[in-house]
Amino acid sequence: MTERQKHIRNFSIIAHIDHGKSTLADRILELTRTVGAHEMEEQILDNMDLEKERGITIKARAVRLFYPAKNGEEYTFNLIDTPGHVDFNYEVSRSLKACDGALLVVDATQGVEAQTLANAYLAIDSDLEIIPVINKIDLPSADIERVRGEIEDVIGIPAEDCPAVSAKTGQNIVDIMEKVITDIPAPEGDEDKPLRALIFDSYYDSYLGVVVCVRVMDGSLRAGQRIRLMSNGAEFDVVEVGAMDAFGLRATECLLPGDVGYLTASIKNVSETRVGDTVTTAADGASEALPGFREARPMVFAGIYPADGARYGDLRDALEKLQLNDAALSFEPETSVALGFGFRCGFLGLLHMEIIEERLEREFNLDLITTAPSVIYKIHKRGGELAWIENPSNYPAQDEIEVAEEPVVRASLITPTEYIGGLMELCQERRGEYHDMKYLDAGRAELHYTLPLNEIIYDFFDALKSRSKGYASLDYELDGYRPSKLVKLDFLLNGDPVDALSFIVHEEKAYGRARRIAEKLKENIPRQLFEIPIQAAIGSKIIARETVKAMRKDVLAKCYGGDITRKKKLLEKQKEGKKKMRRLGSVEVTPEAFMAVLKLNDE
Amino acid sequence: MADKSLGLYIHIPFCLQKCLYCDFCSYPAVAEEMRSAYVAALCREIREAAPILTDYLVDTMFFGGGTPSLLSAEEYLHISKAVFENYRVVPSLEFTSEANPATLDDEKLTAMREAGINRLSIGMQSANAGELSALGRVHRNEDVFTSVEMARRAGFDNINLDLMFGIPEQTKETFATSLEAALSMSPEHLSVYSLQIEEGTPFYERRTFLSLPSEEEESEMAELLYRTAERSGYRRYEISNFARDGMECRHNLRYWRMQDYRGFGVSAHSLIGDHRFFNGGGLSTYIHDPLGIAEEEELLSPAMREYEALMLALRTADGVEDAAFTAEFGHGFAEKYGKRIAPFLSRGLMVLQNGRYALTKAGMSVSNGILREILDEM
Repeated sequence: MTERQKHIRNFSIIAHIDHGKSTLADRILELTRTVGAHEMEEQILDNMDLEKERGITIKARAVRLFYPAKNGEEYTFNLIDTPGHVDFNYEVSRSLKACDGALLVVDATQGVEAQTLANAYLAIDSDLEIIPVINKIDLPSADIERVRGEIEDVIGIPAEDCPAVSAKTGQNIVDIMEKVITDIPAPEGDEDKPLRALIFDSYYDSYLGVVVCVRVMDGSLRAGQRIRLMSNGAEFDVVEVGAMDAFGLRATECLLPGDVGYLTASIKNVSETRVGDTVTTAADGASEALPGFREARPMVFAGIYPADGARYGDLRDALEKLQLNDAALSFEPETSVALGFGFRCGFLGLLHMEIIEERLEREFNLDLITTAPSVIYKIHKRGGELAWIENPSNYPAQDEIEVAEEPVVRASLITPTEYIGGLMELCQERRGEYHDMKYLDAGRAELHYTLPLNEIIYDFFDALKSRSKGYASLDYELDGYRPSKLVKLDFLLNGDPVDALSFIVHEEKAYGRARRIAEKLKENIPRQLFEIPIQAAIGSKIIARETVKAMRKDVLAKCYGGDITRKKKLLEKQKEGKKKMRRLGSVEVTPEAFMAVLKLNDE
Repeated sequence: MADKSLGLYIHIPFCLQKCLYCDFCSYPAVAEEMRSAYVAALCREIREAAPILTDYLVDTMFFGGGTPSLLSAEEYLHISKAVFENYRVVPSLEFTSEANPATLDDEKLTAMREAGINRLSIGMQSANAGELSALGRVHRNEDVFTSVEMARRAGFDNINLDLMFGIPEQTKETFATSLEAALSMSPEHLSVYSLQIEEGTPFYERRTFLSLPSEEEESEMAELLYRTAERSGYRRYEISNFARDGMECRHNLRYWRMQDYRGFGVSAHSLIGDHRFFNGGGLSTYIHDPLGIAEEEELLSPAMREYEALMLALRTADGVEDAAFTAEFGHGFAEKYGKRIAPFLSRGLMVLQNGRYALTKAGMSVSNGILREILDEM
């Protein structure tokens, strides 16, 4: 190992939500004096508004810092930020692969919590050195000794000399820095071997093209080099390499083993630079890629429509912009009789979908209507034809189907033992197939199930959290397709089918679902001049029925000379309100009502 | 050129105490001097408006309020004299005064007759003591009976009673009792309003605490009303108005037929030709200068006139006559609105009879919803 490598430490901060990850990152930035206190924006690492608000980090970023240690030497710290949700588990794992250690932040008043555990195990899986950090010791209710005990008992890592700090006041932060130097190993890697650099993030910049965040494992990376991406063989000429500091990109001459930095190579599309892929040289490159690459494939699909049909073009532009930075987002145009022109979009999971929706609404000022999420079904038609169906509208008629298959996932749930019963019940309800259960230690177990993907895309994660008081964690990966008794459920308002409400569901669940949605529609459709029948149907068979009664009274009792102008204004105001309504066939529905129905929880 | 007909409305913005649901322009417990000053201003406005209305023959007059029956006998005479001396009035004049049952006595009723008033509209509202007090009414139920008796004695052969339903705490039974009580007095005319909680009233302020009848109960009351009124020989000729044959209120029909009317007094509205205007400002402003305060004048465009004509005509049982509509607006009603009204015709909310399109009973209950579908954008 070179002297240079000995003075590098690559690590990330992991924590339960609200335990102080971002504040700690700020203090570290201050202490390393890469950023002046007065210049610093709050919480630099989380640089999207949305992230600040939700307290989750959506895309990983890295920052290079210089730390003058007590031993008189200067160290380079690369602080790598990680996203924190199951939809992004793969990205988290890649970000962690770029590190050699992690700070595990635990709130001194809250102790070890669900996400602390889940994150700790992800880090342990990645062979990282973990430094527990007890934070918020400035709070009166802080109980450092109890939390120290919890870290040792629950997570099972030594904590007798772990730093106890206040990220808010800055107290003892230096202890962490020194601990990083002594406890986290310096990065390995051989400069003379062929280049292997791990892509852990990439984003689109309108001047530079795609900026690819990498950790160099072996070899060297410099401007002018011709590189090859090992998963897809794409080749590019490197324009610039460098490091990211708190102010942006800083070009350097080269990146060597252990370095965390970026490269640009006039790459037009982030989908070419996939997270987890290995960068090598085009000539005399490495023969073997770094392990663990997985293509980010959309697993959940939904139709997204502008509430105002005239903004279809704006929606397309917005999706194109978001896609520049989000290779996992896919979309293509589709039309709905009920909703007009929109897009069928593909997402990693439900949270990914919600984040995209929110960004579209917030950053691009769009009002959206989103249909129920769906997965991709594999339909063997009579006559041998195979169809992949991601939009319920295209689902073939029942008598054309030989066999229908649905995607399943292998799910692993880690939970404190007291919630095992509840979670097994949940998996049972969601048509899960039980494999086994392992006790990880006295208090925790890991459950393995095969679950249909369409059972977990609605609200499984929420149900899991509510049945385990937030402690259980979920990880899953796609595990192929299984034959299944699927049916397409349609809804008719006033006798007209509303395509945007259709979805595919397992036969056994169809009745319950149909009834609940019909009820929900009834609650959410405002009374109109006529009675509106709501029907749920499989093919031509009606399986649930509700009625929105006709409005009984909407009349102005008095209308004499002095009331006429007022009455005109009242009618005009009501007509304005009416314009905001969406027409589904002959029925008027508020956009909110439509959403309420689609966001149906399975409670 | 043939004489045009005109209705005169005279607003008396005084009352003993403001009812809790009332959003009309009215000042409770005003000193007598203020009232005489107002009457003087009123007479001045009446006189000075006359020269530009010489083409007109007045065929209806209406004292509204407030509580017009708070006027003294002399004040009634004074005001009507101002009209009779300055306007041409038809012999068959319909001349109404609204009255609060707590304010009537033989002497005042006789003076009203002398002033030419031949129709009395009595604010009965309910026969239930609890409901009357919930509404903030000053009169007692007995006062209504006495008033009607006295009015008959004084020669009134055209009496309207105002009733309300949808009152806090009201039940179908108490409403039925009120309705029977009203009918037992054999009025020529009934106005029955469903209570509307208007912004700016005490009821609006405490609307969340009022225990109003449910929509279901209210529509049962409405059903009961329509059945009972019809059985007792009253025709529902407008959403809230019922009359024996030939006893419809001609003055109010002017509003719904968009025939000319001139309103005198504070906050009174007028429609003369296509000119719609009203007397804005407060009481003292009006007393100071009754001529200078027309506010919110509007010259109705043909499109706006058509809009209002439909909005108002569809309140009445007569509805819209296609031939007359074509004559006035240059295109047929069915021709222009056929597509919009088709679902209402087919679902029984509207009916075509003898060339007239009108809302049915079911249609009248949701007339706002129907108008929203029918009327043009403005």
